[in-house]
Amino acid sequence: MTRKILIWSLFAGMCLVIWGAFLYAPSAQGFAGESARIVFFHVPTAWVATLAFLVSCVASIRYLRGRDPRDDVRARVAAGLGLLGAILATVTGSIFARIMWGSYWNWDPRETSITFLLLIYAAYFALRGAVADPERRATLAAVYSILAFVTVPFLVFVVPRVYWSLHPDTVINTQGELKMDSRMFQVLMASLAGFSGLFVWLYTVGCRLELIRHRREQEEL
Amino acid sequence: MNDLLAIMLVNLIIWVGLFAYVYRLDRRVGRMEDS
Repeated sequence: MTRKILIWSLFAGMCLVIWGAFLYAPSAQGFAGESARIVFFHVPTAWVATLAFLVSCVASIRYLRGRDPRDDVRARVAAGLGLLGAILATVTGSIFARIMWGSYWNWDPRETSITFLLLIYAAYFALRGAVADPERRATLAAVYSILAFVTVPFLVFVVPRVYWSLHPDTVINTQGELKMDSRMFQVLMASLAGFSGLFVWLYTVGCRLELIRHRREQEEL
Repeated sequence: MNDLLAIMLVNLIIWVGLFAYVYRLDRRVGRMEDS
């Protein structure tokens, strides 16, 4: 029952976020048209990607310690959701770039670092596909996932701040100031919460489904 | 204003569709777990 309440609260919350993103939050200064509103979807998808990669790393560590195949399933599901989040963040960022600077892609430091991130985690699935033996596959994937996550803070948070970038000044900035309208900030925080809740739901459903599949495969063997 | 409303409605439709898909999947997974 609690689960149903949470799921329907997520539905209502995200409807409110969508309303807030377009009708409650004011237009931002210094941006072409209403392009700044994409921040309410762009930032949360990037956040979900980072969170998902962290979950994958933790599940991978657990797998290497306990060799429980369920942790390998969890790591794979989380990595998949992380990759999806990173793709969505890239797409929304490209749309914004097109509106603001007339070009979908500029090889900006942030665009370049997200490309590396996409390639790193796409390679995770390529690695999994290349190894036939389940235990060896899980072990190699777990090691790779841990090493891949080492690059995430660097590519997501450090590199884009070291070099000058077209990317708008971030909420977490070197001046320590919140350069965002309060209503925009409220909607952004609500969107972050909503997308995080959506990630948790997708992750749990994905893990349950994959664990059922895994169990059925084991029974057939 | 009309453009924003239109984009908002499109986003809402996408969200409702995604929610319905995942909700149905959740229920199907629940039935698979029970069987």
